[in-house]
Amino acid sequence: MTYRSLFALIRRELLIWVRSPTGIISSLIFPMMYLALFGQALNLGKLLNVAGPPSAALARAAFLGAPDYFSYFSVGMVGFVALTASLFLGAQLIFDKRLGYVKRTIVAPIPRMSIFGGRLIAGAIRPLFLGGVVFGLALIFAHVSGLSGLTVNGHLTILGVGEIIVALLLVSLSFTAIFLAVGFLLESPQSYFGIVNILNLPLLFTSNAMYPQTIMPGWLQTVSMYNPVSMAVNVMRENLFAPGFYPHPAEFYLGELALYAFGIGILTFIIARRGLSAR
Amino acid sequence: MSDAVVVEQLEKTFPGGVRAVDGVSFAVREGEAFGFLGPNGAGKTTTVSLLTTLLRPTGGRALVDGIDVVADPGTVRRRIGLVFQESTAEDELTGRENLEISAALYGVSRSDAQKRIRDLLERMQLVEAAGRLVKTYSGGMRRRLELAAGILHRPKVLFLDEPTLGLDPQGRAGLWEYVREIRKESGTTIFVTTHYLDEADQLCDRVAIIDHGKIVAAGTPAELKEKIGGDVVTLVPTDGTADLTPVLARVPGVLQVQKQDGGYRLKCLRGESVVPAAVEACFTAHIAVASVALKKPSLDEVFLEFTGRAFREDEGPSATDTALRMNQFRQRKR
Repeated sequence: MTYRSLFALIRRELLIWVRSPTGIISSLIFPMMYLALFGQALNLGKLLNVAGPPSAALARAAFLGAPDYFSYFSVGMVGFVALTASLFLGAQLIFDKRLGYVKRTIVAPIPRMSIFGGRLIAGAIRPLFLGGVVFGLALIFAHVSGLSGLTVNGHLTILGVGEIIVALLLVSLSFTAIFLAVGFLLESPQSYFGIVNILNLPLLFTSNAMYPQTIMPGWLQTVSMYNPVSMAVNVMRENLFAPGFYPHPAEFYLGELALYAFGIGILTFIIARRGLSAR
Repeated sequence: MSDAVVVEQLEKTFPGGVRAVDGVSFAVREGEAFGFLGPNGAGKTTTVSLLTTLLRPTGGRALVDGIDVVADPGTVRRRIGLVFQESTAEDELTGRENLEISAALYGVSRSDAQKRIRDLLERMQLVEAAGRLVKTYSGGMRRRLELAAGILHRPKVLFLDEPTLGLDPQGRAGLWEYVREIRKESGTTIFVTTHYLDEADQLCDRVAIIDHGKIVAAGTPAELKEKIGGDVVTLVPTDGTADLTPVLARVPGVLQVQKQDGGYRLKCLRGESVVPAAVEACFTAHIAVASVALKKPSLDEVFLEFTGRAFREDEGPSATDTALRMNQFRQRKR
């Protein structure tokens, strides 16, 4: 019965999501712009061109195993999707609290855990689909003339695909948890968007989604190491590109990410339970 | 007969210091329709929230179906149904999907759910709309859907918090018809809050009037009306020259006779028997009667009597305003 209520709540969230194309488009629009415009223009690889085309080895060294900048960058965008897809979940929660949808679940004889869990799991499933879209698009770009695209030059195994999916799931889970927690704490959508705007870009810029950690100043490298987007993107890049450019194996970053997601999960569950209990 | 709801000295003081419910005590018998009446801000919704485990009392005790709402909220939740003031059906889901999710949340088995949803959709006249998204529903349809969701798991006590708010008179009458039917068929205890006195008068076996967090009067609608002095019969003779006061004062049941504007105002008990008797007394005295009217006191007057204020909505933001704001809010969200 517990699982049935949880499934019912996940189903509710996903049905609502599928039925609002604007929501899907808005969480895709940022990564798309970065992919189709920003990534095409800011092609760090071209800077290596000054004295003629760089050797493949030089490019790999610059982009940590990736054959070119865009390949490196587009995988970062797959990780970035986890962030953009979860950005609005807290706002959705605030609206739902105001409109009474949350009350309906609070008054139902179900564990408080499933009210939070339903939103959390549904929130983590979404970026899998969106990340797939971004990844697929980047692959297609490689075959469109006039566009840079994603080239996979590593030995991708089934296990590697599994690791990539789990990494995306974990990073989505932690962001969903964070933004849901903010949604549980706040009552007004205005202050929510204020906080989101403060968090959004720093989370992107302090990650290695757009540029290699190796070119960052030391302090930023340290910050970046603890950014969950970096951890997830490391797992993806190590599996997709030429090996040997990272200090640790992909599994190490995956473990780090799992620990991180677990911690955030516990923390936000405590916050959510406070928000859901009768006052 | 046992009590479905028992409330003893219930108190709720909000963190800001507002005492919304201030030592309220009452009991609702099993199978009864109990009306909780009061102006906006009187403490009706807070009381319902306390009884339905949405809020924690700061004092006193409340039992629902014999279960303490603080000690065992989970069991209370299983035994109650709740229709909120605001629409809580999900706009982006169909009516049927909303009911299916409700069934899952309340642990109604799949096979039972299928059958009950079919029956309820039919009874609430939502069969054709069942596959449509709720955002296309009218206000009345939404309320019917909420009512269906509220009784899907066959609750012992059904709480209705201002269920007819924002509905037109026809929609209100219709909704009450459904509630009456549910009551007749299942014997569910009904606890309803409203600020429409006429509705409470028609539907409820007993009512309690709450004002500033305190119960100011309780009883059957008839008892309350009796308390404020019964009925008023107004009689106007065709010829106003003779003084009829002694004649009318002798009519059984008449308590007081006042002369007013060429007619007479009789305060009396059981006005319907006074009317023919008064007309007959005039006839015996050879006085022709131009008109006679009976006025039963309404709960509005009861409210006035017990609170010293007219029952109006001019205190604080009205619930109707809130409902309207919510609708605008909902549209903006889309």
